[in-house]
Amino acid sequence: MTQSTLEPPKPAPTPEPQPAQVAKPAHKRRRTLPSALGEPMVWLTGGALVTCLVMIILLFTMVIVNGSRTFWPQPIDQLELASGETLLGIETQHEEATDQTEARTLFRIGNRDIGQSSFRWINDANILNRTQPEDAVMLEREAWGIWFGFPQQIIRVDPETGAPEIIADDASAYFDEFDALHKQARGDRETVEHMKKHELGGINSLMDRARMRVQQAEIDASRDVSELPRFNIFGWGAVFLVALACVGAFIRFRHYGTDMGSPVARQGKLIRATSTVVLVISLVSLWVGSPWAGSSISESDVEQMRAELVETEAELQAQYDEILDEVREIEQADGRLRVTVVEPTTNQFSPTSQTLADQRLHMSQIVRQVRPNTMGFGEKLGVYLSRWWEYLSTFPREANTEGGVYPVIMGTVLLTLLLTLVVTPMGVIAALYLREYAKQGFITSMIRIAVNNLAGVPSIVYGVFGLGFFCYTVGSYVDVGPSESTRMNVMSWWVLLVLSGVLIIGAIATRLWSKPDPGKLPGRMNVVLQRLSWLVWGVSVVCVVMLVAGTPYFNGLFEARASKGTPTFGARGLLWASLTLALLTLPVVIVATEEAIAAVPNSMREGSYGCGASKWQTMRRIVLPGALPGILTGAILAMARGAGEVAPLMLVGAVKLNQDLPIDGEAPFLHADRSFMHLGFHIYDLGFQSPDSQAARPLVWTTTLLFLSIVFALNLLAIVLRAKVRSRMAGPTV
Amino acid sequence: MMIMDTPSTNQSNKTSGMTRSVAYEPKGDAKSVNYAVIDAIRNGAVPEPTMHPEVQAPDAVIDIQKFNLWYNQDAKALHDVQMKVPRGAVTALIGPSGCGKSTLLRSINRMNDLIDGVRVDGEITLNNSPIYAPSVDVIELRKRLGMVFQKPNPFPMSIYENVVYPLRIDGERRKAVLDEACEKSLRSAAIWDEVKDRLKSSALGLSGGQQQRLCIARAIVADPEVLLLDEPCSALDPVATLKIEELINEISERYTVLIVTHNMQQAARVSDFTAFMYLGRLVEYGPTASIFQKPKLIETEHYVSGRFG
Repeated sequence: MTQSTLEPPKPAPTPEPQPAQVAKPAHKRRRTLPSALGEPMVWLTGGALVTCLVMIILLFTMVIVNGSRTFWPQPIDQLELASGETLLGIETQHEEATDQTEARTLFRIGNRDIGQSSFRWINDANILNRTQPEDAVMLEREAWGIWFGFPQQIIRVDPETGAPEIIADDASAYFDEFDALHKQARGDRETVEHMKKHELGGINSLMDRARMRVQQAEIDASRDVSELPRFNIFGWGAVFLVALACVGAFIRFRHYGTDMGSPVARQGKLIRATSTVVLVISLVSLWVGSPWAGSSISESDVEQMRAELVETEAELQAQYDEILDEVREIEQADGRLRVTVVEPTTNQFSPTSQTLADQRLHMSQIVRQVRPNTMGFGEKLGVYLSRWWEYLSTFPREANTEGGVYPVIMGTVLLTLLLTLVVTPMGVIAALYLREYAKQGFITSMIRIAVNNLAGVPSIVYGVFGLGFFCYTVGSYVDVGPSESTRMNVMSWWVLLVLSGVLIIGAIATRLWSKPDPGKLPGRMNVVLQRLSWLVWGVSVVCVVMLVAGTPYFNGLFEARASKGTPTFGARGLLWASLTLALLTLPVVIVATEEAIAAVPNSMREGSYGCGASKWQTMRRIVLPGALPGILTGAILAMARGAGEVAPLMLVGAVKLNQDLPIDGEAPFLHADRSFMHLGFHIYDLGFQSPDSQAARPLVWTTTLLFLSIVFALNLLAIVLRAKVRSRMAGPTV
Repeated sequence: MMIMDTPSTNQSNKTSGMTRSVAYEPKGDAKSVNYAVIDAIRNGAVPEPTMHPEVQAPDAVIDIQKFNLWYNQDAKALHDVQMKVPRGAVTALIGPSGCGKSTLLRSINRMNDLIDGVRVDGEITLNNSPIYAPSVDVIELRKRLGMVFQKPNPFPMSIYENVVYPLRIDGERRKAVLDEACEKSLRSAAIWDEVKDRLKSSALGLSGGQQQRLCIARAIVADPEVLLLDEPCSALDPVATLKIEELINEISERYTVLIVTHNMQQAARVSDFTAFMYLGRLVEYGPTASIFQKPKLIETEHYVSGRFG
């Protein structure tokens, strides 16, 4: 068929041409039209592809080039201006002359603490002399940014008299002595930081915990427990017997109605389901209403705890002071070592800080000294790598414009991993139901459309939802239990508990009897029962949600802390951010998984059913493994999407600066309640929110490069995993 | 579903029947023959099947009693089918495409349950226990039957895992038991020598014929009461077909086999009993030798000799 339409029709073979008899065809064949030629389309489509590729390559090249050159040491220029000023600086940008403006150059001149702005445009015409003096150094300091100057002295201040002892008196001596002394000073500095952060921080958190314990005891003691009825010992025993009876019933009837052709199969299933539901409800009652639960703390106990707290506090305070003394000692020894590095404009030496302008800079405040004008390539490379290492492994300084991004990396990676861990099972389960269990029809189509639309909702909307629902509603529930308005009356709660049990059993029963006998079409009764069971299920779910959300027996896990006005989970944090992003990426996983499941051939399912496998066994052993590569593809896409989202994070947890990592050595190790730093937000922050945004601009590129690499690495990891799964699943070429 | 090609027999009309795939073209000398039964069926009647005495009261494993099946509301695919499948023998179902032989086979392990809107009437019993009684556990039922499909459908796992799959889903975990069952079953399926060195490699790497024998091994590993074969050779080349047929002969010593085939020669070669079906009705049922050599109906004779159908 296709053959005949493609090929030109052959003229019927006639033995002798008889032109007179050949009828004139209605349609005269023309020469090939220009529009039939594909040439222009080849150029057009190829051009479009090339444009796309060029854009992508341009993007990556730009990010890589700009991002990787930030840390390369640039030479320091000394400028003598027409006004008589002398300046040290690094050229960062050059503008050619135009009609309106003269040629000018942007220099980074640093030395912010003596009132200079970090950058300065200088007209080329004003520069009388431009040299690159060998002794010029660039100090990367812990505070106040960069200092350009000429080193002159290293002195050691006598702690008592304050008299300076000169260690190095000129530039060459300075450079000779600097490295060893600096290493020592930085080492001390790190020890101090470590002690402050870990030892002092540890004592602080111990103290905080002790106070919280007492606080919690005070809250418990003041709570009126008589309003919350509990079982007495006999009632509790009776419920316990009911629970035992349920276990007994389940065991007794475990084979009831399971024989082939048994007429009581439904009854058997109902008995087992009923006993399970009743067992669960009795266990909940036993737990909630146990006579031993609730507060047994009296005022006198609290008094005693308070007294103990005072003791503990005193003890901890003593430890604290001891460590603090040690810290002070090291710091003092540290502070004795000073450097004099003079900048040429006003002959000022680098001060300790802006307010202590007469004090020389501490040696230990120097993070790194670079003397680029005399460096060879190898030395420059060394500085370059050490700057990269600092960038990757340390905490940020100076409003994020200096130092490293270690906590930012940790935050991003943790967030992405958590969101993937949450979204993948959730999406897979939802897709499984939608594709394998649900009856395909109008409702499933609507759900599919809804899910796809979910992917198109602006991401900031998810942020708003996450903040309102996760942080403030769920979070505050976790912190302090149900709010006053949702907290239910005790009696109605117990009634609702029993009612939910009855409803669930009813839902199971209607569901069981709504299924037609095998080989029969569902009758009117079946249809009615089926609708009813859906309704009852829906009501039961609502009841269970109300039970959990309104329980008067739950007062939150972090009540004491919340009562001090510091919410734990009731605020923005890593957990809620990853849940929000999981919601955002859910459609991606659902769609991918559904497609993967649908792609598993039906013959596989039939084969499995033919072996006597149940639906679930078939799904677990045949469908899911077959769909695994597709599911992983969905997870990868979700990961990529989630890692790149910034807008919702600004609402639900990403912050400008948080020195506490969301993961550390302190129990429970993963602090999902903490706010975190995120590379996407960090880029925005560096570029637009920092006080010295011009200085931070190169870092924007570097951070972008890093962000790209991390997302790429995470994806690569998942892709490798998928390739492994694929090669395991598929045999050799068939 | 092949059955959809069948003209609706309730309102059977000749022209539509003629144009459909159910070919009914008397050829040559057959022109003068009067196909009374077939004509009756084509007019919607359900004539009493012609039963040979040998199959009237055998020791039946499967007893199909007045079995009817509808796809959707009115597409009736099986009409009052009534036959007993003798124990320990190979029984073949033959008939033109769309005659309901696969549907009948799939009714026995209730694979038709997977299709929406299927309704049945009548009863089938497997070793005297009803299959369509209310509340039969389909899973239990299918475990008692083995099934092999038209297209080889090994699972994307190792050969070993494929064979022991029915045992695994039955909860068997002891390695020794699984190993033994695997070897025994692969030997029975005459494929042991070919795969014994690569049990752990993927089953998808086998050839089509090997895959189908692997599927047979999988179907018999749990010692089914009946082995159902649904045109097991239709996707295979002649050499592989021959091997499968030899295998069926061997297997029939231990298992009752019910095979659907559209290849008359195959039915003649492998089966002990043959049932000829047409448009959802059982037409003639008897020992293979009599069906092929001296059938009682002229329709059967002409069908098995290829003069119609």
